[in-house]
Order: sequence, then structure tokens, then C-alpha cells
Amino acid sequence: MNTSTADKGVFGAMPTWVRAILVGGLIYAFLAGVSALEAGVKVMGQDTQERLFESVSNPLAGLCIGILGTVLVQSSSASTSVIVGLVAAGAIDIDNAVPMIMGANIGTTVTNTLVSLGSARQSSEFQRAFAAATVHDFFNVFAVAILLPLELATGVISKTAEWISERLVGSSGSDWKSPIKQWVKTPVGWIQDFWSWVGLSGNALGVLMIITGLVIVLVSLGLITSNMRQLIADRVERSMNAVLARGSGSIAMLLGMVITMAVQSSSITTSILIPMSAAGVLALRNAYPVTLGANVGTTITALLAALATGSPAALTVGLTHTVFNLAGILVLYVPPFVRTVPIYCAEWLARIAATRPIWAVGYVMGAFIVLPLIGVIVAR
Amino acid sequence: MLTFFRRGPSDLEHFVSKAIGMLGDARHSFDLATLALLTKTDAAAVDSDIRETDQRLSIAEQELLSELVVHITVQGPTDIGSVFGLVLLSNKIERIGAQTRNVLDLAEAGVSLANQPDTEELLSERTVISALFGEVADLMTEPDDDAFEDLSRRCAQLKAEQQRKIVSYMHSTEQGTVVVPRAIYQRYLKRVVANLLGIVVAATEPMPATNTLDGDTPDADG
Repeated sequence: MNTSTADKGVFGAMPTWVRAILVGGLIYAFLAGVSALEAGVKVMGQDTQERLFESVSNPLAGLCIGILGTVLVQSSSASTSVIVGLVAAGAIDIDNAVPMIMGANIGTTVTNTLVSLGSARQSSEFQRAFAAATVHDFFNVFAVAILLPLELATGVISKTAEWISERLVGSSGSDWKSPIKQWVKTPVGWIQDFWSWVGLSGNALGVLMIITGLVIVLVSLGLITSNMRQLIADRVERSMNAVLARGSGSIAMLLGMVITMAVQSSSITTSILIPMSAAGVLALRNAYPVTLGANVGTTITALLAALATGSPAALTVGLTHTVFNLAGILVLYVPPFVRTVPIYCAEWLARIAATRPIWAVGYVMGAFIVLPLIGVIVAR
Repeated sequence: MLTFFRRGPSDLEHFVSKAIGMLGDARHSFDLATLALLTKTDAAAVDSDIRETDQRLSIAEQELLSELVVHITVQGPTDIGSVFGLVLLSNKIERIGAQTRNVLDLAEAGVSLANQPDTEELLSERTVISALFGEVADLMTEPDDDAFEDLSRRCAQLKAEQQRKIVSYMHSTEQGTVVVPRAIYQRYLKRVVANLLGIVVAATEPMPATNTLDGDTPDADG
């Protein structure tokens, strides 16, 4: 029996060490992209920045922009990194960034929900897959419904993040010498020099630098994810089997966190769960904690992005993402009496979706596109 | 959790090891059940051992299938042929377990082929089939075209001989208590042999290769 697993990915078959070096280079490119984005916004000047980002001063609009932006790029790692870059550049402040970060958390759940639609032809399989996907949606929506008003009233999440940030790098108003920022300074300078050499200046230069930064961030994150997925596939497989064998919630949560940190994408982790749930090898109650772990794990990217900016405020926003997800687990998973609420809601929605799959499509369109669009239009 | 950080097998080898373990369990059940039918061994004494082994076999099959789903989900469809083969062969091993249980049911129903004129022949047939389990396991680990051809030929001979016996029992003028249990037993053995051969086929070529450009099938482009 042929027992060798072919090693193919974006760059085809390549030795592990070469792929590891490639990932290192891609992380560097990602950090340079975030830094270029920040530099681009700074080049644009204060007036332009205020005009561009004034709509996010309304928390509901910020939340909806966070959802839409993440749905658009299909990655909360990318959208939160962009938010971190904007905060570092001073285009938006921490208070305005927090609802956007929460929106990114909701928006990222669209990917595994779309994956679950692939099983729509098989009613029972689809019901299991859709429940496994939407349990993530419900958790994030409930977490936002509870924690956003609390944050707006007390600032508890951003204050906690700020407190941690101050302990790590100093106060938000100050500048700290991030070694990573120094490290990526040269390529950012090259980007700026190139566009200046082309003849751009002022806002045009800023816009092109932002676009260049965005492209670098999105492409490098996508490549990091696909290559890391190849690098750790065997480990993910073994640990998933271990989780299936033991079925412990906390272990599953830790696993979800570690896998997501490694591949830099919660969508990958949560999407892996969908076919397993559809096939019936992973129960919804076992998939749920893996999803929560993925929520926490994905926050590593924004923290990494913050390191490239050298701004304590950016680090605070990155930490806000982590604190928000940990608080969500504390509120919605730790107390046994509320733990099953997202599960019941997901099962209920999946039962409806299984009888009429068109409802599932309607749900995806409504929850991730139509409602956030209405939110942006009404609240801005 | 530490599983994630440990090094481990990076291919399908552990699935094959698991399947070979299942085959070992199936052989154990086969040896015990046939022993209960062909010798004075008390059927009730081996019953719990066989049921436990059967239970273990079912659990192992479920685990294997579940792990294969995880494998395909995480690694993608690269190994789909091997995975499909493993699903097929685990199903065939499970079937052997069921056929072994049927042999035990015969013994528990009061049928005994011990101390009969053909007992020696039946015991020798049992030894040959039991050895086939080992050969199949070897071929799963180390595929060998010549050994596969040889095994296929011997299995075909065994099945032909079993079919010949079944037909002769059906047309025999001997008492039903003599021929019916033997015919049923031979039918079970024939299924066991067929499944053993099926395991090797599933492991080497899960799906027959389709070639629409050569042979009798016309080329659609032509």
C-alpha cells in the first residue's frame, strides 16, 4: 500500500526547511506591509485621515465596517492587522477601533459558514455542518451583544488591554523603540521611494502606499497560511485525533488556539471542523471549544502587526482583540448554564436550514452583507 | 495537547498498522470459532473471547474511519485512493469478523464437526485459511506483485474447491444433519477467503483503472 503523503502546496513539493525559511520571509513581508500601510496613512495628512475615517466614530458603524471588511478579505487576521496599522498611524483612535475589532471577529465566521453550504445537498450532513459553522457565529454575536455595550459604558476591555500594554511597552501617548519596526524600515522606505520616483506625492502617494501595504499584507498572510498548513498538517491531524479520542473541552480549546496561531488563520481551523462535523466524527459539543480556541489564536496576527508599528496604541488594539475573545469565553463558555446557549441556537438554525437550504443562503447574505451594510448606512 | 508538539508518523503508515491489527483480531476470532466447530472445544468457553474481539474490531473500524475523515479533511484529497482502499479493506475485515461469528453460531447451535471422517481435511483447510491472514498482512505492509499473483491463484483454487463441495452437499443423498452444516460452513469459509483476497485488492488497487483510450471502448474524440 502506498503510504506516503504527497507534500504539495502553493509552491509545490519542497523540503520542510525550505518552506520554513519561506514562511519566515513571508512574515517579514507581512510586517513590512503593515508598516507600509501605517506610513501611507501618515503621508496622507490629518485632514484627509479625518474625512476618510469619520464614519467609524459611531460604534455601530465601526462594528459593521469590521464585519464587512473581514467578509471582503475573508480573514480577520488581515482586517485586524489593517485596523492596527490605522491606529498606529493615528487615523483612528482606540475607542473607535474596538467595535471594528469586534466586527472583524463576527465577519471571520463567514468562511466556515460558506464551507458548510457545500454539504447542502445532504440534509442530515448539512444540518451537522451548518450547526458546527454557526455555533461560531452565535458565540461571536452573543459576545459582541454582551461586551460591546459593556465596553461602551465602562471601557473595561480597552482599559484592560491598555493596562497590559503599558506594562509591556509604556503608555499610549509615548513611542517605543520596536526592534521589528526598525527591522522593516528599509523595505518600507523602498516602497515610498519607488512611488515618489514615479512622481507621486501627498495624498496620491499615501493612497498608493496604503494599497501596496494592503496587497503585501493580504498576499503574505495568504501564503503564510497555506504554507504553514502544509508544514503542520501532520501535527494537526494527530492532535485532532487526540481531541476526538479524549473529548476534553479545555484541551480542544488549546488545540484550536495553537493551530490557529501556527497557520495565522481562524478560518482554516474552523473550516477543518466542518467536514468532520458533517461526516459525524466530530460532535458539535467537541467542535465548539476548538472554535473558541481559534478565536483567541487568531489575535496573534494583530499583535504581531502591532510590533511592526512601534505604537503602544496599536499594541493596545491588538491586545483588545485578545482580551475581548478571552472575556467572551469567560462569559459564554465558563459558566456551565450558558455554555449550551450558542449550541442550542446553532442546532435550531441548522434544523431550519436543513429543511430549506435557501434559508441558509439567506442567512449568510443577510447576516454578513445586508445587515452590516444597513448598519453602516444608518449609523454613519 | 502535547501531541501537537511531538513528532510522529507523517504518512498513512499508522492506518495500515491499525488495519493489520484489525486483521490480527479477525484471525484470532476465526481460529477460535473454527476450533469450536471442528474440535471438542466448548463453544461457550470461546464465546466471550470472540464477542469481545468482535467488539474491539467494530471500535477499531469506527476509529479508523473517523481518523481517515480527519486525514482527508486536514491533508486534502492527495491520498484519496489509499484512503478509499483503507475504507474498503476495513469494511472487509469487519465482514470477516461477522462471518466468524456465524461459524461460532453454528457451533453454539449444537453443530460439531469433531471426530468425523472429514475432520482432518477440514482442520487442514482451516490451517491454510488461517495462514492466509498472515500473508495478507504481509502484502499490506510490503506490496509484491508476484506474491499477490500467487495469493490470488491459491484463493481462486480454494474458492473453487469450496464451491465444488457446496454443490456436492446440495446434491448429496446423505442426511440433512450431515450435509447442511457442512454446506453452510463451506459457504462462510468461501466468503472469508473472498474477503481476504478483497483486502489485498483494496490495498493495492482500490478502484480498477479506467482507460477509455485503449481497448474496446471507443475514443469519444475520435
